[in-house]
Amino acid sequence: MTAVVLDGIVLGLQFGLLGVGMTLVYGLGGVLNLAYGQAAVLAAMVVAVALTAGAPALVAAGAGLLTAAAGGVVLDRTLMLPVYHQRGEHRVLLGLLLTLGVAFVVDGLLLWRYPTGALRLTIGGEAVPILGVRMRAGSLWASGISLAVGAILLLFFRATTLGRAARSVIQDEVGARLVGINPAAVRTFIFALSGALAGLVAVTRSMTSPVGVTAGFDFTILALIVAVVGGLGSVAGAFLAGVLLGIVSTVSAFYIGQYITTIVLLAAAALTIVMRPRGLLGR
Amino acid sequence: MLEASGLSAGYLGENVVEGVDVQVAAGQAVAVIGSNGAGKTTLFRALCGMLPVTAGRVRFDGEDITGRPAHRVARAGLAYVPAERHLFPGMSVRENLLLGAYPRRPDPSAFGLVFDLFPRLEERRQQRAGSLSGGEQQMLAVGRALMSRPRLLMLDEPTTGLAPKLARSAYEALGVLKGTGMTLLVAEQQVPLALSVADRGYVLENGRIRLEGASEDLERNPEVRRAYLGVA
Repeated sequence: MTAVVLDGIVLGLQFGLLGVGMTLVYGLGGVLNLAYGQAAVLAAMVVAVALTAGAPALVAAGAGLLTAAAGGVVLDRTLMLPVYHQRGEHRVLLGLLLTLGVAFVVDGLLLWRYPTGALRLTIGGEAVPILGVRMRAGSLWASGISLAVGAILLLFFRATTLGRAARSVIQDEVGARLVGINPAAVRTFIFALSGALAGLVAVTRSMTSPVGVTAGFDFTILALIVAVVGGLGSVAGAFLAGVLLGIVSTVSAFYIGQYITTIVLLAAAALTIVMRPRGLLGR
Repeated sequence: MLEASGLSAGYLGENVVEGVDVQVAAGQAVAVIGSNGAGKTTLFRALCGMLPVTAGRVRFDGEDITGRPAHRVARAGLAYVPAERHLFPGMSVRENLLLGAYPRRPDPSAFGLVFDLFPRLEERRQQRAGSLSGGEQQMLAVGRALMSRPRLLMLDEPTTGLAPKLARSAYEALGVLKGTGMTLLVAEQQVPLALSVADRGYVLENGRIRLEGASEDLERNPEVRRAYLGVA
């Protein structure tokens, strides 16, 4: 049981980061980015290609994250522009349709170019016993990176001018403009950050299990569930929800079966919407 | 300092204010008075770049700022406090004030200035803005605007939702600000309060300037007395 929960935390920390990228873009742009998972896969493929070409692991990972971030910026500055001219329901719907289109296009292109593409990072090193459970080096690295990035993000949003500016746009866009913040610039930055986070999760995920070229929609669905359960727009909420859902996921996989986990996670999201529509830490 | 000439603006292709001329000299306090729906808010939104201008020009400190986006107008030193305040409800009083100085770090004296004017805000420094009372929220909105050390402070109906006593103390604070040399432009329905602080005033009716003049002259004007001061 301890092993299952620990595995859940390893998975959950990554779920958390994945959810943060989704929840931020929703909070700032009013867009649920259905092409989010494709950013993760795009990064994974770039890393895989760079590694095959002989690049050092850190350089390859950096290239992957940068590519995913650039993808976010391009999306924000081109296809999303008509979305920002819409308000309310229209904005959400147009955003969903456009990003879904992007998702299919990117999925198709990647599958065509790398039909059997997959990223698997092997992390050397001995397994380390934690609470009597032997944890693989890959799991520890993935968790350490996720925790560190999560802590940096929380600090960034609490204590830096740019981080506060991003939160202010989420809370009151008019108020943000009144104090001299350009919401469009902040939004572009958040799209880049979101892409980089998706890429990062693909990289840490590949330390414990391969990330295949068709994993895009799985990432998107997970991110959506985490963001909804955590409360759309809440960074801390996404982390909390990520860890909880990670544990739920491994526990149900262990006691019920792998095939049922996505259903359990969706049920958790549905239950959250019914019991607490704003999510765990939503405003 | 601020000069609007022939300014028209509105919504969905229809002008709400038309051909408005407004001038505010440095160090002056100027009131725009008018009833509900006269176009005060539309005028203010157009002046500070929150609303596109359909005709006319706005000059601030000798520079043409017509059509500049609101965040750039704010950075140029024109601070606007809307009636709805638009605070950041989930952030503390302190964080709201910090953001007021965006994109710079606030200079230390800025906090002192705001807390001297509104000691209440210092007591509530760590409290969430959304949990403040109406009067405190108004103080915070003005305080946030002051953090950037603006050269012109524009307030739209600062007494919205405030009890008479709080409304009076809001104007007392504006009087103090004026005493420090701050240039003020205030839109107000509560005409006696507005004229108590203002040096000059404009009467806005149906989106046009109906009258303008020194506050004392406006107070004596029979039309103003009948329509806005409740004197028969």
